Amino acid sequence: MKTSLFPCSGGRALHAPTRREFVYGLGTSLGSVALTSLLAAEQKGPLAPKQPMVPAKAKNCIFLMMEGGPSHIDCFDPKPALEKLHLKEFVREGKMKSAMESGKRYYVRSPFAFAQHGQSGAWMSEPWQHLAKVADELCFYRGCQVDSVNHPTAMYQMNCGNRFGGDPAIGSWVTYGLGSVNQDLPGFIVLPEISYPQGGSANWGNGYLPAHYQGTALRSKGSPILDLQPPKGITPEHQRANLDLLGKLNAKHAEEHPGHDELKARMNNYELAFRMQMQVPEVIDLENEDANTKELYGIGKDATDAFGRKCLLARKLVEKGVRFVQLYNGTWDSHDYIERAHGNLIRGVDQPIAALITDLKQRGLLDDTLIVWCGEFGRTPDNGVRGGTAYGRDHNPKAMTIWMAGGGCKAGHSIGATDDRGMEAIEEVHHVRDLHVTLLRLLGLDDNKLTFYHGGRFKQLSQIGGQAIDKLIA
Amino acid sequence: MIGKATLVAFLTTSALHAQDAEQLFVRRVSPLFQEKCLACHGNDEKKIKADYDMRTLESAIKGGESGVKALVPGKPDESPLYLASTRQHEDWEPMPPKEADQLKSEQLAWIKEWIAGGAPWPDEAKRNAIAKASADKWSAEDGITVKVKGALTPEWANRRYKPDSLWEYQPVKKPVIRMTKDEHPVDALLEVKEPAPEADARTLIRRATFDLTGLPPTPEEVAAFESDWSDVSDRSDAWLRLINRLLESPHYGERMARHWLDVVRYADSSGFANDYERGNAWRYRDYVVRSFNADKPFDQFIVEQIAGDEMQPNDPEKLIATGFLRMGPWELTGMEVAKVARQRFLDDVTNSVGETFLAHSLQCARCHDHKFDPVPTHDYYSIQACFATTQLTEREAPFLKSENTSGFEEKKYLEARRAEHLAVLKSLDEKLLQNAAKWFTEKKIDPAKWNTAVAQAKQGGGKNAKKGFSDVFGAARQILTKQGVPEDQYPPKLVGFEPQDFGNERVARKGLERLKWEMERYEPFAFSVYNGVTVPMVNVYQPLRMPGDRMKNGELEQTAILGGGDPFSPTTKVKPGVLSILGSIEFPEAVEGRRTALANWIASKDNPLTTRTFVNRLWLWHFGQAIAGNPNNFGSTGKKPTHPELLDFLAATLVEKGWSVKEMHRLIMTSAAYRRTSFQARSSDELGSSSYATFKPRRLMAEELRDAMLSITGELNPTLGGIPNRPEINIEVAMQPRMVMGTFAAAWVPNPLPQQRHRRSLYALKIRGLRDPFMEVFNEPAPDFSCEAREVSTVTPQVFSLFNGQASYDRALALANRVLKEKAADPISRVFELTFGRKPSTGEKAACEAHWRQMEAKQAKLTFLRPKPPLEVRREAVEENTGEKFSFQEKLPGYADFVPDLQPADCDAKTRALADVCLVLLNSNEFAYLY
Repeated sequence: MKTSLFPCSGGRALHAPTRREFVYGLGTSLGSVALTSLLAAEQKGPLAPKQPMVPAKAKNCIFLMMEGGPSHIDCFDPKPALEKLHLKEFVREGKMKSAMESGKRYYVRSPFAFAQHGQSGAWMSEPWQHLAKVADELCFYRGCQVDSVNHPTAMYQMNCGNRFGGDPAIGSWVTYGLGSVNQDLPGFIVLPEISYPQGGSANWGNGYLPAHYQGTALRSKGSPILDLQPPKGITPEHQRANLDLLGKLNAKHAEEHPGHDELKARMNNYELAFRMQMQVPEVIDLENEDANTKELYGIGKDATDAFGRKCLLARKLVEKGVRFVQLYNGTWDSHDYIERAHGNLIRGVDQPIAALITDLKQRGLLDDTLIVWCGEFGRTPDNGVRGGTAYGRDHNPKAMTIWMAGGGCKAGHSIGATDDRGMEAIEEVHHVRDLHVTLLRLLGLDDNKLTFYHGGRFKQLSQIGGQAIDKLIA
Repeated sequence: MIGKATLVAFLTTSALHAQDAEQLFVRRVSPLFQEKCLACHGNDEKKIKADYDMRTLESAIKGGESGVKALVPGKPDESPLYLASTRQHEDWEPMPPKEADQLKSEQLAWIKEWIAGGAPWPDEAKRNAIAKASADKWSAEDGITVKVKGALTPEWANRRYKPDSLWEYQPVKKPVIRMTKDEHPVDALLEVKEPAPEADARTLIRRATFDLTGLPPTPEEVAAFESDWSDVSDRSDAWLRLINRLLESPHYGERMARHWLDVVRYADSSGFANDYERGNAWRYRDYVVRSFNADKPFDQFIVEQIAGDEMQPNDPEKLIATGFLRMGPWELTGMEVAKVARQRFLDDVTNSVGETFLAHSLQCARCHDHKFDPVPTHDYYSIQACFATTQLTEREAPFLKSENTSGFEEKKYLEARRAEHLAVLKSLDEKLLQNAAKWFTEKKIDPAKWNTAVAQAKQGGGKNAKKGFSDVFGAARQILTKQGVPEDQYPPKLVGFEPQDFGNERVARKGLERLKWEMERYEPFAFSVYNGVTVPMVNVYQPLRMPGDRMKNGELEQTAILGGGDPFSPTTKVKPGVLSILGSIEFPEAVEGRRTALANWIASKDNPLTTRTFVNRLWLWHFGQAIAGNPNNFGSTGKKPTHPELLDFLAATLVEKGWSVKEMHRLIMTSAAYRRTSFQARSSDELGSSSYATFKPRRLMAEELRDAMLSITGELNPTLGGIPNRPEINIEVAMQPRMVMGTFAAAWVPNPLPQQRHRRSLYALKIRGLRDPFMEVFNEPAPDFSCEAREVSTVTPQVFSLFNGQASYDRALALANRVLKEKAADPISRVFELTFGRKPSTGEKAACEAHWRQMEAKQAKLTFLRPKPPLEVRREAVEENTGEKFSFQEKLPGYADFVPDLQPADCDAKTRALADVCLVLLNSNEFAYLY
């Protein structure tokens, strides 16, 4: 046991990034199109699995990003005090005064009834019917705070640590630190909504990390990966023939230009792409899953089909050895009609998420898989009652609920608290950077060592260093 | 048994004398604590980590939350403070936490010795006395202190620097070069061992042409140069003639602009939640092109970008130049605090000026004195004070003759969209009036007053002057509100709206708002600044015009050091200033002129940072590696120059040559180092990449790849400048719904005509929230941060893009078509010449011809349809207000006149089969790499 004078962990440093960045192995004979030698060599590539820096509680992560800002007050953090305050005037004070000022503002109670579930007595609002059944698997955290009141900046901060975007996403950091088991698939896969969130693909960008660690979006409509297939009419044989000519020309060129390893790396890359082209459609095809599984996830039902498919695909990807999968759902930006808007949103994800937990558990994967559920911020107890009587809520960076399941989190506990109106976190309060440090820790990474030299200094996910929130760790 | 006396004797030999231990504390240990520990353990009382406070001996001994004493005087091996610092001990977590911050063995030894010597901790007066008495001796041994202004703590102010870590502040000193006869000064300074031989003519012209224009040489240009080069006696002249020809090409400015815009983060949109278009940013882009083409002295180029508006407010060119100050992403939405947004601009511009011109990442000194470099927070805010009166505006600036103002007729497509939005709002207004009637019936309220109000509203034409669209319903509500009718006696806003209506209303209303920014493109306004007071604003949803009186209606900002960088925590007031390690200059007290003073200081020949920063970039742009490895950061954590004398030689030469950038290209490119081959038995990798023994090959940049393809197919439209164009991008990305604040952004609709689409990549509309995936996968940097050097990585999505993507197929087909149309005697040879600048070998030719025949047989069996341009796209999403699924048809009027590129359906099997060969060549390493 380590005694902690300073609550940070020890461990090995990640090896320094190499100057040249190759993908997927070197050392195949020039011009060869044989795959066997590639497979062996790949283990040395940038995505080759690496040992964790500190003892890992989880190997993989499924990150459920409810973009738009789910309301903690209407999901997991009941505020009975709002019953009395309902439609009484609300006045914003202090620095934030000029923000979200649109006429008179009123307190708004939650339209949902709350009940406690499981042995742990976790609070959930009425629409969370299925999640209630796996309540004891969840670890709720109500102490997190972020800096930004706008969507894209808050999304960037939750995903990348930096409000202004352009930094590597947490999935990029994790695959940079741990590699990925499956070398034929990207290590960090994102399942976005049809419309990308505000801030776009920078939410899963690799920032200054090498591009191998970029999140690959598997699109839910059209081609799952952009240009994964050639234009219509071009068969695999047709393409193979072109690829063979390319191999020949490149081989001759490489012979004439010795000592330039990048040429080989680029040649191998074409072969890998050709294989991925065959494999990806197979991996994402859910039709071969049995009917019970599909039913479990709510596939085929209007409300849950879309997110059910994403959750099932996430399980498949983790099973296939993909390190980090991020799912998007939204938008949870319910400024009006909170009952209808949040009600629909919750019903859309409730069954799929519960199914994901149940399914991972029955397959023995839950212990190795950290599930995180969050938005970019929480919501306010008040709103401007836009549109007449349609109560909703605005953005709140000072209070939110995050929960985790699986992979070493303190299941069956609720950590931290917000004030009686849900305005602001008051217990076990931590900046989001500490949450990032905690997530990395659970995955066996030390934020202070998971650094990358860029622009003349070492950079890290937490930006300036942070502390793990020990209470969230089992 | 050991006697007491012996024990004492033993201790005194291993530990220092008390006096020495005190000296050690003052000289070494105390500064070390300050540098490595106190940031988390004392300097900020509110944020002390793990409860461990190291500000006094007592608290340092007491320890932190573990409850264990952290410091045992006389016993380093029992002191967790020391043990944790060794990073070796099982019980104590390594400190400082970051591996990169770990103590050196020498530093560890100081702590150990000091503790062994009893851990003396003299009070401040005694510390100062000791420091004073030993000052001369210590600085001789330890390096130097520097004079800066306004350090937050005396410890920081007295910090010592190794002289070599301050290299960048030393005056530029032109080295005395010992050259052999005919040797180039650059080569003399590089001192290359085992240099590779000179590259061949074809390699050289390809290298020079891409480097100076971003385009490949034509086969004719290659042949001409090869013939020039074959006259061995005339080679130097032939080379110089080539360089001069390329420097005179208008594409030279485009190439340099690409580099410059990477550094300054150019984009045509504002980023963040709204990502509004910056309709007139293109004029800054073209200003950069013009400046490089005219070989504008670089000092002038600097001054114009920082203070052009102050110096020549009546010259549109100078107003356009200051667009530089606004290149960072910025917006102010109603959701955020205006003061915070204003501070974001100030922080952005401060850091940007530091990085761009001074190779200083100033943001590191925003919250505290710089951790490593002699930049106090005071300097940060002094430089920021130069911008305290700088205000953002889209400012009137008539179009110049030198600007390309063609193509404005495309505005009609925006007007069609505008009409569409207005029609939607009108019909929704009518619907609201119907809903209102129902509401009165349901509520059993007499609608008489309402009906009068509606009639009255309609008389005014029903158009809301402020909003610019039909809103009879809203106007009628307002009339009743004004009459004092109780709120429950008339219908609420958006009465009876269905989810679909919410969505449609929002899309139309926000769409109109967004169009205002796009329309700005055709207006004679510059993306610029002015000086004045800071006008209070809640949000910015339309272009900002200059106020009539710049000094009225707002706050004259007084810059102060901000505690923790928080605009609500001002502390000491500061005046405009510069980096104080380099001295000080006079600033005017007035609102005007601060930036001029700053700009003149930066662009001074005596500023050692400015000239070094620029020539270092220029070197990078030619050799693929900089002399000082972090062109945006000369600070002590950045990489030190590999060839400091060369850097100074170039910096001094820049000034001598009147800051002429073209002269610098001539100088650098005429060196032997630039003309070496990339390959020899021992590569530069083996010899060390900065050996310059061989020329470092590079993969083409994303833009070069695309432009080169367009160039060799003959499709490239070489027109310079003008409003951004919209090439075809991956159609799925183009049509994908993109969320912006409160709505969806409009789809990406390409220009109707091929020649409009086939402009150089520099001109493609650059939206922060919608990147062209082709550019993105080939490492085009995101415009959020300054890009000091492009990354090059090899990832599979590049294959998907280049080998499967529609654009590649289009280019391959165009190339095949070109060659067959030309009726080339030997089509394969012609394709090779165009693509690689050489003829194929016999083997290559045979392989390609065989492939052509084989593919013709396959192609003959394929049939292709002509794709129909999409005139509308169905948008599906979850409506933000209601959480219900919502869909609508977005009309795409821009597609109405769309003329596609050459299609497979237009070509015979033979052409399509040759296109297969072309596709392979465009994907080959020989095409993608430059040697």
